[in-house]
Amino acid sequence: MIAVQALHKHYTHQGQAIAALDDVSLRIEPGEIFGIIGRSGAGKSTLIRCLNLLERPDSGQVIIGDEALTALDDATLQQRRQRIGMVFQHFNLLRSRTVAGNVRFPLELAGTLSTAQMDARVEELLGLVSLVGLLDHRHKRPTQLSGGQKQRVGIARALANHPDVLLCDEATSALDPETTDAILTLLADINRQLGLTIVLITHDMRVIRQLCDSVAVLDRGRVVETGKVLEVFLSPEHAVTQSLLAETGLGPGRLTGIWRERISSPVIRLSFVGQPALQPVLDKVGRETGLRLNLLSGTLSEIKNTPFGQLLAGVLASDVELSALPAIFAREGVRCEVL
Amino acid sequence: MAALDWTLLLTVNWPEIGEATVDTLTMLGVSMLFTVLLGLPLGVLLYVSAPGQLRARPRLYAVLSFLVNVLRSLPFVILLIVLMPFTLLVVGTSIGVAGAIVPLVVGAAPFFARLVENVLREVDHGVIEASQSMGARLSHIVFKVLLPEALPGLIGAATVTAVALVGYTAMSGVIGGGGLGDLAVRYGYQRFQTEVMVVTVVLLLALVQGVQSAGDRLVRRCCYD
Repeated sequence: MIAVQALHKHYTHQGQAIAALDDVSLRIEPGEIFGIIGRSGAGKSTLIRCLNLLERPDSGQVIIGDEALTALDDATLQQRRQRIGMVFQHFNLLRSRTVAGNVRFPLELAGTLSTAQMDARVEELLGLVSLVGLLDHRHKRPTQLSGGQKQRVGIARALANHPDVLLCDEATSALDPETTDAILTLLADINRQLGLTIVLITHDMRVIRQLCDSVAVLDRGRVVETGKVLEVFLSPEHAVTQSLLAETGLGPGRLTGIWRERISSPVIRLSFVGQPALQPVLDKVGRETGLRLNLLSGTLSEIKNTPFGQLLAGVLASDVELSALPAIFAREGVRCEVL
Repeated sequence: MAALDWTLLLTVNWPEIGEATVDTLTMLGVSMLFTVLLGLPLGVLLYVSAPGQLRARPRLYAVLSFLVNVLRSLPFVILLIVLMPFTLLVVGTSIGVAGAIVPLVVGAAPFFARLVENVLREVDHGVIEASQSMGARLSHIVFKVLLPEALPGLIGAATVTAVALVGYTAMSGVIGGGGLGDLAVRYGYQRFQTEVMVVTVVLLLALVQGVQSAGDRLVRRCCYD
């Protein structure tokens, strides 16, 4: 379990104090993938650096397991950090070392393994992060690798000392969409296989949707919304969350506004999660109740392997009262809200 | 300068030129060794103690930085003379090749240290942060990250320093340090033996070229890209 309690952190810029983190508290369960999303300048980069104290908060506590990191002295903190892996947007590999040398680096820092043991562990790690190839590239320099391969080396390095927590700082932001997918899949596999907790920051809702169990939305140094990813996606409360979803094509589109302006009939929001998303629910309810809908916007997708869909629709006609619709849809396992 | 009669080359005192070359190489080699031994740690200390750096000690940094600036701003000829009592204390003589080495090191080490500081600043902050996140101590960061990552730049800095040292050795004649520069002044300038001047200049040129291309080759060999 990771607990962040009342973190405050400010920077001074040209004599003015700017709050990077303003009373941030979070609770991250063991083994979950926790995403922190926000626009640039929201403080997410500062927040993830406070989790391993690369940046010291002005006040507040960071607790990992049952240990308050913020109370440790430097030497103990350095020891503890060996078991908190971190992956970076720009990989931050040592160009003076080969691929194998980079993965070996944290093992050298820990200094607990013999040379032969380190070599074996490096091989094991490179195998873990890539089905093909990286082992053959182990004597190459990082500059000779593609972005995706570099990040795999970065992940192998972060896992070297058997961490219980993996921090990902925009780990896929410098990668193309296809490579991003592959790296996210790798992170999900690692989370499942090793059972470690992953905390990631991103500005991309697709990363949250594909990978995370829980999410916190950060805006101007404050957590404005937090919860299970499904819940937050189905009913985003805060304006920032809504606009982040809208930008990814996951929120109400422009058509809804036009509909409301020109045709003053009611709008309903239907949310499908799991099995109902795969069934002809609209057709069935339409036949039974004479409900005729005009679709305004919608998403049909997956959230971490759970089929999920959300439709916004204008109601053209219905044989039943609008207020009865939620109950009718509920029988089919679909949430219906009249907006 | 009189028109050059190439037959005069036969009259040049070649053994003396050979001796002067050995003197120059000795001064260059020994002072370069000590310049690196003193300048590298000083450069690292400057880098880590600078404000906002790994072990920020603004006051220590200000003092070191001031000393480095003072030593760098003194013309080498002045340094040679000012340091004579100190040189006597350290090597037991203040003249000759041995006497020249102390001022050479005192002149070059701060220069090299400043170059080292600048080269280290060019190391990507991301890799330092990454190694901190893995639990690296300061000594780990210096020896396993900073110095290896900056190696091509450090070799480049050493090359520039060595070339500057060749220039400094030419002035050591002032305290009887000998070497090619001294020879050029004594024979070429004071005794109008232009041919000696030409020979020493050619040799100094070859030396500088040799140092530079050796440095370049080393940088290429350890280049990581």
